[in-house]
Amino acid sequence: MLFPWQLQDWQRLNAERARLPNAWLFIGPAGTGKLEFALHLAQSLLCEQLQADYQPCGHCKGCRWFEHGTHPDFRRLSPQTDDEEEGKEAKPGRKLPLIKIEAVRQVIEFAHLTAHRAGQRIVVVEPAENLNPAAANALLKILEEPPQDVLFLLVAQAAQRLLPTIRSRCRQFPLSAPSPAQALDWLRQQGVSNAEAELAHNGGAPLFDHDPVLAKLRSQFIDGLGQPTFASILNLAELVDKQKLPLAIPLGWLGKWLHDLAGLSLAGIVRYHPEQQAVLQQLVLRCDPVALMRCQDALQQLAPFGQHTLNTRLQLEALLMDYLKIFAGGRQG
Amino acid sequence: MSYQVLARKWRPKRFADLVGQEHVVRALSNALNEERLHHAYLLTGTRGVGKTTIARILAKSLNCETGTTAEPCGECSACRQIDAGRFVDLLEIDAASNTGIDNIREVLENAQYAPTSGRFKVYIIDEVHMLSKSAFNAMLKTLEEPPAHVKFILATTDPQKVPVTVLSRCLQFSLRNMTPQQVAGHLAHVLEVEQQSFEPAALALLGRAAAGSMRDALSLLDQAIAYGMGEVREEGVRAMLGAVDRRYLFVLLDALAAADGPRLMAEAEQLAQRGIGFDSVLAEMAVLLQQLAMAQTVPAAIADDEPEREALFALASLIAPQDVQLYYQIAIHGRKDLALAPDEHAGFNMTLLRMLAFHPAHAQPDSVAAPRSNTAAAATRPAPVAMPAQPDAGVDGSAAARALLAGLGNRKPASRPAAQEPGTAADAEPEPAAPAPLAAPAPAQPVTPAVSAVSAVAVAPAEPVVTAPAPAVIAQAAPSVAADDDERDDEDETELDNTAPWDETEAEEAMPAYAMAEESTAVDAAPYQFDGDWGGLVTQLGTRLGASRMLAHNAVLKGWSQSRLELAVPDSFRHMATRDYQEKLKTALAEQFGHTVELVVTIEELGLETPAMQGARHRQEQLAQARICLENDPVIQQLVRDMGATLIAETIQPVQEL
Repeated sequence: MLFPWQLQDWQRLNAERARLPNAWLFIGPAGTGKLEFALHLAQSLLCEQLQADYQPCGHCKGCRWFEHGTHPDFRRLSPQTDDEEEGKEAKPGRKLPLIKIEAVRQVIEFAHLTAHRAGQRIVVVEPAENLNPAAANALLKILEEPPQDVLFLLVAQAAQRLLPTIRSRCRQFPLSAPSPAQALDWLRQQGVSNAEAELAHNGGAPLFDHDPVLAKLRSQFIDGLGQPTFASILNLAELVDKQKLPLAIPLGWLGKWLHDLAGLSLAGIVRYHPEQQAVLQQLVLRCDPVALMRCQDALQQLAPFGQHTLNTRLQLEALLMDYLKIFAGGRQG
Repeated sequence: MSYQVLARKWRPKRFADLVGQEHVVRALSNALNEERLHHAYLLTGTRGVGKTTIARILAKSLNCETGTTAEPCGECSACRQIDAGRFVDLLEIDAASNTGIDNIREVLENAQYAPTSGRFKVYIIDEVHMLSKSAFNAMLKTLEEPPAHVKFILATTDPQKVPVTVLSRCLQFSLRNMTPQQVAGHLAHVLEVEQQSFEPAALALLGRAAAGSMRDALSLLDQAIAYGMGEVREEGVRAMLGAVDRRYLFVLLDALAAADGPRLMAEAEQLAQRGIGFDSVLAEMAVLLQQLAMAQTVPAAIADDEPEREALFALASLIAPQDVQLYYQIAIHGRKDLALAPDEHAGFNMTLLRMLAFHPAHAQPDSVAAPRSNTAAAATRPAPVAMPAQPDAGVDGSAAARALLAGLGNRKPASRPAAQEPGTAADAEPEPAAPAPLAAPAPAQPVTPAVSAVSAVAVAPAEPVVTAPAPAVIAQAAPSVAADDDERDDEDETELDNTAPWDETEAEEAMPAYAMAEESTAVDAAPYQFDGDWGGLVTQLGTRLGASRMLAHNAVLKGWSQSRLELAVPDSFRHMATRDYQEKLKTALAEQFGHTVELVVTIEELGLETPAMQGARHRQEQLAQARICLENDPVIQQLVRDMGATLIAETIQPVQEL
């Protein structure tokens, strides 16, 4: 499936088809449909009855297999794959999702076999950042000189985070992000309630999980942050703890809130919470930028442990204490 | 046959086709021609400089049917098979996916058998840095003494990860990065043969963007051809590469210097729209800040042909040196934190906002010095620290500064040594400014950013020397130089280019030091006369005491003469009276007195007041005074009376005066 904002990219890509690389590296911000684009390309390359504009037909054998995820000439290298193999839905990220070397070895083996359907063989690596060092290195040789008719499609958010040796072997293809209007249109079409606020909260990236429960919780959380008192802070920590959310989620919310607070107080911009502008404006008056940065530091220190088994409530309370201090300074001095 | 990417199609097949790496080729060619071949080679270098390529050519040279030669024929069956990647006696092993000891064991087991068709059995072990420790060790014996028909060629980007025992058994060649010119030249050659039209300027850009790697360059070229629909135009390449010049960085830092938050954020937004990686922006920013710091401290180190020299110096005059350091730190940390932010844009914004938050205009007045507004040039010579400044010389710094300021306001030409001194003083005392009341809170910018340091000197004396605090600080620095300059009128102006920029912060610091400088010139003339004031002497020695400071502070002067001091230390500070502390104290004293001083330290309680006790008493007195002040303050009294406020007495702290 292609998103409306990707049509131009698709045209641009089709112009390159005469000169297929060994490996394409698709780069773009999170939540803008990079994976969908790569999968669409894969399907189009595997389709046996290409339509106009290289669109896959959707009903040939290749397309049907592809849509069922059983195409023999297609492999997807993602962190989830081994969880799926074990047949159980892993708890949302208790450990860092990484692509391991075993999976890469399997792909290398796959690449050296001949194709089932006499066409291309496609490997999608997504997200390429999640290749662990051993896996990334193991991919190098095959990426540089793959056997005939093997094409790698790598998907990553930032090329800088990949090994330079990987980057140098790929042809980079930056994917465009939707303009705010496009994103909003699309969200409205999907029937998302409160589309504007949701879009702003996700930094303009239209693809995110709509979870009404979580959205409600988030607005409660944000409201609590809007009234920084000792009691409300404790309530917030309890609220989050009750829902058994991983620490990463409230950390993300707080991170965005801090960003807006800092943005408004120092530069007059609000990125994630335009609907809370008035509340933020009030807070900014009492806000001490240096204490804010200290709170941000504490947040950042905790960020790598977002999926860890740390006691969410304890950590969050400690963090929110730091948050309180942002406003404490204003009163004393 | 389907399309092959340029990087693969143009992999050199002969040594003559290689770009660069002459030093390696020459060594290998000579070895091949004279048949003095090592049995194990290690090729290192960054990505895409030709490690695997050289390994393959070497394999061909060894096995070519025309004999071991530096110029393999490329036509015999061995050469053709190697090119096609199916020569039986060439084993190219991907060490990154076959990392374990078992893989290596399997390979080495076969090493003992003679080659099937070729002259040598060649093992190319690529990405060798990924082998496990045990795999490396399993290789050692074979690597040291392989059978005569076996050659090893190891290749890696990361020789640090290869154990020394392996390194010592190999002949190591490190391949150099390609220069942008080499890359551009080769790209031109490729495009001519490929019959694609191109603009040389576009290739120069690609050459720079490749950062030393030919494969990167060819991958980019592929991308550029696709982007430009078969043509390589400068404009297209520029758009494809995103930010190729650093203009946006200057805009960012300029906005930062002006504490212009909205402009900063707007610029960040633009960067996001142009699809420039924030990680690379921060990396570039760190580089630029490093150059700024260099422009401020060692201006001569900036090359004259640096393309952005003017802009660099203009910016260097806008940001205080300590702020440059701070921003550099923040940029470096920001890169690390980028991955932890909700999204990259937010992470980048936050990093910029952090810089803003610690910008002098936002920070509390007592924590950071006031924004600098002007680079008044200081002493021109890279003055060596002849006489370290004495920051706490017992003089009330601010008062002295004010007095001096008044003096300078009258344009009394400063004496030469004094004019030289500030630079030295600033060097010796790098810490941020004392909370001097002179710190001007608002940036006064009499000199536009475009004006270089030279013209700043020319302009500043022309500025009316005002008694208003803010500009006066700036102006006060300038005349002293001007005076200095007048004296040496005939000396060429280029020297002024080397002027160490200094800011008013340093100027403030320089004031007490200035006073000291005059004092110390007097001291230099006549030897130091000790008057028995141990406390005063200790304060005067200040930081020069170093580790012996504790000893000096807790000692009582028992007896003294010009060449002998007797100190008594209470028993509780016995550990401070060890020999090495005494030695240090002695050196410091000798420096002050101008001759060696005999020092006798005894452990006894005399019940007299040590400098430390004196300091503590002072603080107590100040505290008491502060409390009384606050309690008698009418506003506070009113608050207590009308609003039921309580004064938390233990939180009162007197302002520390230096």
